[in-house]
Amino acid sequence: MASVHESLYFNPMLTNGVVHANVFGVRDWVTPHKMALLVLLSELGRAGAQLGLLERRRLNRLLLPLLQGPDMALSRLRKAIEECCPHLAGSVHIRLKLMAEGELKDMEQFFDDLSDSFSGTEPEVHKTSVVGLFLRHMILAYNKLSFSQVYKLYTALQQYFQKDEKKNGADENEMELTNPEELDGKMEKEELDGPLREEEIACSGPLSQKQAEYFLSQQASLLKNDETKALAPASLQKELNNLLKFNPDFAEAHYLSYLNSLRVQDVFSSTHSLLHYFDRLILTGAESKSNGDEGYGRSLRYAALNLAALHCRFGHYQQAELALQEAIRIAQESNDHICLQHCLSWLYILEQKIFDSCVLLEHSVNKSLHFGLPYLASLGIQSLVQQRAFAGKAANKLMDALKDSDLLHWKHSLSELIDISIAQKTAIWRLYGRSTMALQQAQTLLSMNSLEAVNVGVQQNNTESFAVVLCHLAELHAEQGYFAAASEILKHLKERFPPNSQHAQLWMLFDQKIQFERAMNDGRYHVADSLVAGITALNSIEGAYRKAIVLKAQNQMSEAHKLLQKLLIHCQKIKNTEMVISVLLSIAELYWRSSCHTIALPVLLQALALAREYSLQYLASETVLNLAFSQLILGIPEQALNILHMAIEPILAHGAVLDKGCAMFLVAKCQVASAASYTPQKKIEALESAILNLNEAKTYFAKVDCKEQLRDVLYFQARLFHTLGKTQERNKCAMLFRQLHQELPAHGVPLINAFK
Amino acid sequence: AVIGRAGAMAAAVMAAAPGGGDFSDLREIKKQLLSVAERSRERGLQHSGKWAAELAFALEPLPLSELPPPPVLTEEDARDLDAYTLAKSYFDLKEYDRAAYFLRGCKSQKAYFLYMYSRYLSGEKKKDDETVDSLGPLEKGQVKNEALRELRVELSKKHKAQELDGFGLYLYGVVLRKLDLVKEAIDVFVEAAHVLPLHWGAWLELCNLITDKEMLKFLSLPDTWMKEFFLAHIYTELQLIEEALQKYQSLIDAGFSKSTYIISQIAVAYHNIRDIDKALSIFNELRKQDPYRIENMDTFSNLLYVRSMKPELSYLAHNLCEIDKYRVETCCVIGNYYSLRSQHEKAALYFQRALKLNPRYLGAWTLMGHEYMEMKNTSAAIQAYRHAIEVNKRDYRAWYGLGQTYEILKMPFYCLYYYRRAHQLRPNDSRMLVALGECYEKLNQLVEAKKCYWRAYAVGDVEKMALVKLAKLHEQLNESEQAAQCYIKYIQDIYSCGEVVEHLEVSTAFRYLAQYYFKCKLWDEASACAQKCCAFNDTREEGKALLRQILQLRNQGETSSTDVAAPFFLPASLSANNTPTRRVSPLNLSSVTP
Repeated sequence: MASVHESLYFNPMLTNGVVHANVFGVRDWVTPHKMALLVLLSELGRAGAQLGLLERRRLNRLLLPLLQGPDMALSRLRKAIEECCPHLAGSVHIRLKLMAEGELKDMEQFFDDLSDSFSGTEPEVHKTSVVGLFLRHMILAYNKLSFSQVYKLYTALQQYFQKDEKKNGADENEMELTNPEELDGKMEKEELDGPLREEEIACSGPLSQKQAEYFLSQQASLLKNDETKALAPASLQKELNNLLKFNPDFAEAHYLSYLNSLRVQDVFSSTHSLLHYFDRLILTGAESKSNGDEGYGRSLRYAALNLAALHCRFGHYQQAELALQEAIRIAQESNDHICLQHCLSWLYILEQKIFDSCVLLEHSVNKSLHFGLPYLASLGIQSLVQQRAFAGKAANKLMDALKDSDLLHWKHSLSELIDISIAQKTAIWRLYGRSTMALQQAQTLLSMNSLEAVNVGVQQNNTESFAVVLCHLAELHAEQGYFAAASEILKHLKERFPPNSQHAQLWMLFDQKIQFERAMNDGRYHVADSLVAGITALNSIEGAYRKAIVLKAQNQMSEAHKLLQKLLIHCQKIKNTEMVISVLLSIAELYWRSSCHTIALPVLLQALALAREYSLQYLASETVLNLAFSQLILGIPEQALNILHMAIEPILAHGAVLDKGCAMFLVAKCQVASAASYTPQKKIEALESAILNLNEAKTYFAKVDCKEQLRDVLYFQARLFHTLGKTQERNKCAMLFRQLHQELPAHGVPLINAFK
Repeated sequence: AVIGRAGAMAAAVMAAAPGGGDFSDLREIKKQLLSVAERSRERGLQHSGKWAAELAFALEPLPLSELPPPPVLTEEDARDLDAYTLAKSYFDLKEYDRAAYFLRGCKSQKAYFLYMYSRYLSGEKKKDDETVDSLGPLEKGQVKNEALRELRVELSKKHKAQELDGFGLYLYGVVLRKLDLVKEAIDVFVEAAHVLPLHWGAWLELCNLITDKEMLKFLSLPDTWMKEFFLAHIYTELQLIEEALQKYQSLIDAGFSKSTYIISQIAVAYHNIRDIDKALSIFNELRKQDPYRIENMDTFSNLLYVRSMKPELSYLAHNLCEIDKYRVETCCVIGNYYSLRSQHEKAALYFQRALKLNPRYLGAWTLMGHEYMEMKNTSAAIQAYRHAIEVNKRDYRAWYGLGQTYEILKMPFYCLYYYRRAHQLRPNDSRMLVALGECYEKLNQLVEAKKCYWRAYAVGDVEKMALVKLAKLHEQLNESEQAAQCYIKYIQDIYSCGEVVEHLEVSTAFRYLAQYYFKCKLWDEASACAQKCCAFNDTREEGKALLRQILQLRNQGETSSTDVAAPFFLPASLSANNTPTRRVSPLNLSSVTP
């Protein structure tokens, strides 16, 4: 029997042209380490009731990783056992010693005795338990060995044991080597062995198929869920190469190597690994699925699909489209609707890069539901909601759709999609300008226990949804003036998503945006200008907008205007409404800065109409502020006060601190302006309430450190106090103003004309 | 040990060969060859001995008086003689451990070498046996020659003390190479070549370790006539065929015209540059001189296969099978034979057998892939090609084969990657370029396709199809001017070859040209082409119709100049002014070429 296997094995094992990785169908075999484990198990059975409960529990926890993990040196194993139960470690060592220093028959006897644990009316080990399966595997593998293999196993055991002994001995005898000549000889030998040793360390020993599978699945899930915990790219690649050296037919290793290359953005080796994987898979597919060419055709279309995904990931959209077309064609030819659905979703993603395509997406959702692909369906819904939100569809409908898809997620326990859905909601609430709701959703995701955490113990940590939510959280905190908290969050992001990882660009952008805002508030325009380049690299539209803002702040009005006009046209073309409104506001601001309030008005009205249409509440309020300011300047402060009442509530509820301050400041200004026509008694009341409002504005500005605005508020307050005849308060304000005024350069725009 | 060193020196002095390229004293060379053959044999180095003997055989026989004297025995040799004799006989019987046991403690160079060599071979043999007996499939990569490390330690001590002779250095180099210490190994082999230039084994090992021309430049090699053989060999290995052929020619001129080794090497070189006729004739010559030769016959069979010479291949296969059917080359030849007879299952079987005999025999994987392709067993073909690539990443035929497989599976985009790899390895091979072009055409990327076809034509198209394809592309794109140019070039190419082989697309070319000139109202040219069309079956009617139309139009119009210019497409006119400008522009296919 054995000889037949041997002859089969030695030759490239070809049947029907397919080389089998493993003719025996044995996924595991006996090694000295496994024998040590067997000894441990049998000792565990023998010790039985003598073991304390605590020790037993510790040992049980130790067993599983030992059974699944790679082989290790005896000393390490002994240490691990000693930590749980020192007494047992000693007896395992003695048993091994007896076997290794005894004769071959001791080992044979040991294996004969192993099967006893299954016998009896009440066996120690259940046949189908984890331990039972392991034992049976080992017994089977041992029985399949030929004579020479048995002998080799025995010598391997002896070496395994002796290496450990020698190591112990070396530790003790290290100092006793006094004979210089001997030392010399030893040195020379070691020196010569140098390069070899390294090699030996590198290949710490082959993994059995089971061990390899465990290793691969573990690393793959880590890569998906928490990249920072997985092995570093270089060392993982080394392990994989090692694995492939021993078994080149292990296709999954190629796939993991593809994933690993993606981590370091290596187009060449990732393409290579991906294609290699599918080349290999085509074989195993043909072999394992006996129903004709189904299995093998299947992998073909998925191969093309994966290639499309790869090109898309690296931004080669044209290539991706070609590959996708191929996948679609093959899938159509073989009537594989499920693959077609996957292709459709990818097609949507690709088309999205070029133009929006709701029709495609709706179609995809319908079909996916029809074929029972909840994952794809709900991904489609998410994308659709996103698209619709940008297109200004009614918010309640979108929320309804999200709720429906959430139902789907919970029903199918799609924890990943639940995360995505929450992140989506966070983003949508922010889009609508409801920061409180956004904050709440973000916190929900972060404090929610992932479903997978229950089963696997792996927290899904580095998915895109987490990155999105954390970035929003950072920005929300920065808006409220909690800069320390924001930078804390960013620090955390940096740790969780190292700079070369896939989602790192997100936090890079947010980080720079926050820094930009701070620089603008402080009036350090040169710093802001230097940040623009970084923002442009990550997001060109955002970069152009910020550039215009810097130009505006530096009073380079005509350049800013030119840039904004260009940006406006571009954004209208790509239907980025949010940006259109922001740009319109900036343009209006340019106009009123140049004292052309009448021209600013229609622009502002346009922005207001757009914001209302797309229910971007926050932008709408901001537009109203601008509008009110223009009205104030045009001499209708009563009207301004009227519309301000509309905007003040949402701004105070959801706005950034800076906007709150501006709003209050504006309210005070309007109050003062409209008080001019009041009776003296009423006038004093109005002025006093204006002073209170100014106080509020002052606290807001102080929070975000806006010195310029503070200065203006102080000036204004001082004037009011002066009018009211409160000299002491007036003097205090005037002093504070003077301090600030000395710090800051005077700017060209008259105080009363500035609202921001 | 001191005496041993002196002995080695004496041997080296005796072996000192005349300077590089100096073949004036063939007798001296012959003497050296004979003596080194003898010494190699004494040490169990059979291949080197064989090589020297083969070369010696090609030279004139020596008279009795000039035969090299039997090697002088030193005191040490005499002391070790008994042990050596016993051990050598064990060694010849492949009982290496036994031989080593009786040789331990021997001091003479010869016995010491045999001692170390038997230990090395014993380790190698055990390694092979271990592979069978390893505990699990994954362990097979881990089996290694246990003796190597000990051998390295001992030999390096001797090396440091300068006690190794040429053969000892050679063995030390082999051990180093087996341990993957390539740099050290090269140094040692160079040293071995200096000490004992006559030992072909050291040169051959050096050939395997040198990967490019730059490396070769920086080696300081002994200036002997052996160097010429080495250079010729390594040029062949590095695909510098022109240089190699030159070297071999000069060796033949120097008097080695009868050497079968040189003849076979020349044949292989011609095979590599695909000069099939020359290679075939040389192989035939070789078979005549050395009818029982098995080496290189696989290459010969490849040539016969390409030329579809069934009877010759069949004869060769039967002949080799009679000589020794359990040789890798024989299996390969038989595989080719079956493949030519379209019995692909059997062919695959024989390639498998070749691999069983020698798993490191690269070509068989690729050939097997081709067979599975023929059998439409794509998955097995992919498997075989992948194996070939694993053994040798630079095997362009395997990459090309993989591309073809996916093309058959109708995945033109997917196979682009494989064709590109093949193209990178053979940038000047038109077949890959044409394949690439076809894929791009299928993907409707016509600009890329045009580039590929033009490039294929520019690097010298073998199948002469690139131009036609290019012309058709231009036709599709309504670029009639360029299309006509391409067809003209195509026709010129076909005619200038002088081959009378019926080419399928010639008629299409003439038809297009006739119509093109007709449209341009160039009646003379149009009628010339139309007349040509009449020579082909499928275009005869069209040609006649066109001729009639031309005649009508001519009669209507003014009488054109009647002097008939020489047909523009004939090679006579093209030789002077019409040589196609084969500018090779950089091939920038697309932004992404992983």
